[in-house]
Amino acid sequence: MNAMNPLLHQTRRHFFSRCGVGVGSMALSQLMAREDALTPRKPHFPAKAKNVIFLFMAGGPSQLDMFVHKPELQKRNGQPIPESFTKGKRFAFMDSSHRTNLLATRFAFRQHGQSGAWVNDLLPHTASIADELAFVHTCKTDLFNHAPAKFYMNTGSGLFGRPSMGAWVTYGLGSECDDLPGFVVLQSGPRGPRGGAVLWSSGVLPTTYQGVPLRNSGDPIVNLSSPKDIDAKQQRQVVNAVRELNLKRLVETGDQEISTRINAYEMAYRMQTSAPELMDIQGESKATLDLYGIKDSKETTFARNCLLARRLVERGVRFVQLYDTNWDHHGGVTENLEKHMPLKCADIDRSCAALVRDLKQRGLLDDTIVVWGGEFGRTPMGEVRESTGRNHHIDAFTMWFAGGGFKPGVQYGETDEFGFGAVENQAHVHDIHATLLHQLGIDHEKLTFRSQGLDFRLTGVDPAKVLKDILA
Amino acid sequence: MNRSILFILTLVITASLHAAPVKIEFNRDVRPILSENCFACHGFDPKHREADLRLDTFEGATEDRDGSRGIVPGDLAKSDVWQRIITEDKDDLMPPEKSHKPPLNAKQREILKAWIEQGATYQRHWSFEPLMKSTALHPPTANPIDYYIAKKLEQNGLSPSTAADATTLIRRVSLDLTGLPPTPSEVDAFVKASAKNADAAYRALVDRLLKSPHYGERWGRWWLDQARYADSNGYSIDAPRQIWKFRDWVVNALNKNMPFDEFTIEQLAGDLLPNAKESQIIATGFHRNTQINQEGGIDKEQFRIDSVFDRVATTGSVWLGLSIGCAQCHDHKFDPIEQKEYYRMFAFLNNQDEPEMKVFDPKVDVKALTAEFKDVTKRLTTLITDRYAEETAWEKDMAPDFRAKLSAEVKKAVAKPVAKRSLADNVVIFSVFTQPSDPLRILNDRYKELDTLLNKGTTTMVLKELPKPRKTTVFIKGDFTRPADEVTPGTPKVLHAFETTNPQPNRLDLAKWIVSPQNPLTARVIVNRVWQQYFGRGIVETENDFGSQGTLPSHPELLDWLAKEFLAKKWSLKQLHRLIVTSHTYRQSSANRPELIEKDPNNYLLARQTRLRLDAEIVRDVCLTASGLLSPKIGGPPVYPPIPDGVMGQGQVKRVWTVSKGEDKYRRGLYTFVYRASPPPELTVFDAPEGFNSCTRRIRSNTPLQALTLMNDPGFYEFAGALEQIIKKEGLAAAFKRCTARAPKPEELAVLKKLDSLNAARTLLNLDETVTRE
Repeated sequence: MNAMNPLLHQTRRHFFSRCGVGVGSMALSQLMAREDALTPRKPHFPAKAKNVIFLFMAGGPSQLDMFVHKPELQKRNGQPIPESFTKGKRFAFMDSSHRTNLLATRFAFRQHGQSGAWVNDLLPHTASIADELAFVHTCKTDLFNHAPAKFYMNTGSGLFGRPSMGAWVTYGLGSECDDLPGFVVLQSGPRGPRGGAVLWSSGVLPTTYQGVPLRNSGDPIVNLSSPKDIDAKQQRQVVNAVRELNLKRLVETGDQEISTRINAYEMAYRMQTSAPELMDIQGESKATLDLYGIKDSKETTFARNCLLARRLVERGVRFVQLYDTNWDHHGGVTENLEKHMPLKCADIDRSCAALVRDLKQRGLLDDTIVVWGGEFGRTPMGEVRESTGRNHHIDAFTMWFAGGGFKPGVQYGETDEFGFGAVENQAHVHDIHATLLHQLGIDHEKLTFRSQGLDFRLTGVDPAKVLKDILA
Repeated sequence: MNRSILFILTLVITASLHAAPVKIEFNRDVRPILSENCFACHGFDPKHREADLRLDTFEGATEDRDGSRGIVPGDLAKSDVWQRIITEDKDDLMPPEKSHKPPLNAKQREILKAWIEQGATYQRHWSFEPLMKSTALHPPTANPIDYYIAKKLEQNGLSPSTAADATTLIRRVSLDLTGLPPTPSEVDAFVKASAKNADAAYRALVDRLLKSPHYGERWGRWWLDQARYADSNGYSIDAPRQIWKFRDWVVNALNKNMPFDEFTIEQLAGDLLPNAKESQIIATGFHRNTQINQEGGIDKEQFRIDSVFDRVATTGSVWLGLSIGCAQCHDHKFDPIEQKEYYRMFAFLNNQDEPEMKVFDPKVDVKALTAEFKDVTKRLTTLITDRYAEETAWEKDMAPDFRAKLSAEVKKAVAKPVAKRSLADNVVIFSVFTQPSDPLRILNDRYKELDTLLNKGTTTMVLKELPKPRKTTVFIKGDFTRPADEVTPGTPKVLHAFETTNPQPNRLDLAKWIVSPQNPLTARVIVNRVWQQYFGRGIVETENDFGSQGTLPSHPELLDWLAKEFLAKKWSLKQLHRLIVTSHTYRQSSANRPELIEKDPNNYLLARQTRLRLDAEIVRDVCLTASGLLSPKIGGPPVYPPIPDGVMGQGQVKRVWTVSKGEDKYRRGLYTFVYRASPPPELTVFDAPEGFNSCTRRIRSNTPLQALTLMNDPGFYEFAGALEQIIKKEGLAAAFKRCTARAPKPEELAVLKKLDSLNAARTLLNLDETVTRE
């Protein structure tokens, strides 16, 4: 890392001035020459992409009201789904509100662009970039409750405490940014995502790789600001004094952990400036703000988070994950298809498209994978609570990918007439993980970490495949 | 990690290969190579076995398979395994390309060659063999730990370091045994006593520390990590729970030096002991530290079974050092544990009800209080009935804005017609309008106090055996919707026999089986895990995997000797601690030396001590102590020290965090309330576990977020403010000593003197040395 050289220089000075004391006869290079946990590392093979932006629609967005057009579902609205589909299947809320009657979408679908992708009228902006996107309609997960399914989509396991994808990627590739964390999380919506901080946990990996949430109010990072009576000059004095005393201890003890700690203090100090600078979008042009639909530079919306995501990858941050909550349209008072689905779509539509466009015009899209999806999708059958909605569905749901060597304008995976299950080209969560890692130059079977007698990996023990058909 | 294993191996092998004649030992030399490269496809698990060849047993390896044999003892040319390893033909080469494993290197080949030539003798996996008898051979005088360490150092041409100076030593052993740094006067007294008789002074110090009630807090946290203790239910809702009585039980049990076998039995099956005492039932909270999913729409049975899976895996890794959890979905790939055997273990832990138990402070006389409560209730009811008119009048006269300001509880009570109000409603109402001196009010207050003490008091989560056991089956691929054959409780065949006269074996039988003297694992696993705390790494580096995928012990004889000693001293943990900390190996200086950097950079051979960054809670404790704020109060409900704004909004449900008042603000890190889904950042940045699953070894990361915490966190800033006052009163040198135990050097003081006293205090709390045990 850049910070290494001045430090090395200083240590050298220090070293010669104190030669003969403690471990003085040790070669200085032995003390300092150590890879930092975040030093950029070579991938297993040449990578197509360097960064990932994962737009996570927390709650499970309804693919059947957004990207999956099923005329048969429209025709048989209100009729029971044939039993052959649901026999032996388990669903959430089986004891209460779950229903087996099909539910048509109340919003119109149209085909768009050269690729002729079907996109619902709820998403006019996304529709306008359809030719940039690779749609996968046969995504499959194994768990149908929110928190476990979210863990599954993030960590490849339904259990608490496994490393999330962002942690794996940073562990595998290191970070190319020396004044911001390598894995950053942004949040929007009325509440935090179910599962909380576990979703960006480093699990069995060292906490260095844990996702760092940038918060919308107060300090963007916990404890980022100096205490209120401490000005920048005093803070710098403290950092300098800590470094000077730590250097003396380093020479005295020969413990290389101290050199890592010295670097950590330098990066912490830089973060104190770079993180607020990152969050301050007032310098963005009006055209850019308009593109994303940002009205107020302080607003705490998904749109602002999309712009921040671009600013993050611009600065070399490896993995950015955006959580937008309240996509759980069961049909309750606050989350139903009639009223809330159009509002949620409006929340994200313009800014998703803006992000892809903005990355492209800045030449960042080639290096950056944009992923859109949730922890699962929703059933073709309706659910009746105070209003109408759909239940959680794990057999087939839609995600889209843009940039980073994904094939633009492709539609992958065929589902049955109701969109219940895959009839060909199923894409299991582990396959999706394998594909994302592949684009980053990582062989998912080789990216492992030994703990509790197991070689942990993101894609688990069963074989996973790279989805070559959606890659350029 | 692999590199380090290789390093050890290299040392061992170079040492042995160069001394002729070399006798290859299967466990030491051959098994690691086969396990790493061959067993995944040619091991114990028949479902993944390729070409029907198994190499984990002599019979399998030498079996006649249509004229060819994997290994023919003494005959390389006829041994297929050897031929496939040395072949030039890429298609035939083992391990195959698709395994992503590189071909065996020259050294590995040399070992296998010599082994086959010498007759290809197999041994059982080392940890399944009984404790070694040869450990009796150490010379009688020295601390045998030093004998075993020195022996290996000598083989590698190295020598131990000299003892650390008295100041370093007292800080080290105080932090290691109690988690608290020594006070400056303790340091001075020890330095003085050491100058007279270093050994005697040190022994006296160790005795004092082992008697300190803070010993139980320090080592209690070690155990609570393994017990996956935290104060909330986990998953997405993450509601708070009460189980701190279990935490206090652990601290007390360790302080009393409860023998580890008893300690085990009470936690796994205290409720099943004859005439179980309350404390023995509290101990069963160990296996209630699993998470509870309160999300809507879930299948409760699914998550109950998940918690049993967790209990089996935790029991396996904590007491047996085995990853038996791997056999949940399939036969274990590397260790001889069948899936069916996994579910036989599961059966022990599948028959419980999971209640909460009301617990009483030992000083509370429940019988007397219950009688009083009955009496107070009666008298209060009469008094209140007599004063209905007064109540009605008060309500009538109430000003509207006063009414609006009433608490929700009072409003609710007032909304009911007078006749329909319960005693509880009236207690609430009369509390508002009566004077503190009113006899009714006094009785009222007593009623509330008794009610809290008796009815709303502390509860703790425990296990309770069901009268009729649940049916347990194998689950195909670990999926609870796919039950297969029914199984009865039992233990893996590869370990010592399970013996009981109980027709319906239960958890108590399992616990007794675990602490049986026949068990080759538990004593080894526990002494290793204690050792790891002192040196940063176990004698077996993979502290939770003593199976064939784990690393070999770096000092096998020492490990077995310690385990035997642990058993001989009747499972006394304090004796074990004393044994380790009084060794020269422990007392060595941690400073690195040039020849060590070259020959043993990771300090496997322990020619020096290791500097270790303090555990998260102890980082807090040290800063609290240095700044003079620490409350030494032991036990009781968890506390809420200040946390940065917005932390509690990270989970799905925004939990309340009302900062504790008075001394509870300055309690040890052990007592901070931990929500699993939004744990206190001050602790997690320093790698405190969140209690998702058993943590048998903490990672020690070193990150910028730690720097931000120590520099800017409101709590640590407050500590710096207190330390500033000390600087003002007693000077910089005194403050320096409170942080590091040693006196500063002139050039160090010079650096600090350039700062004002507040920033000098901040600098001191941020030093690597302050948060490190040297």
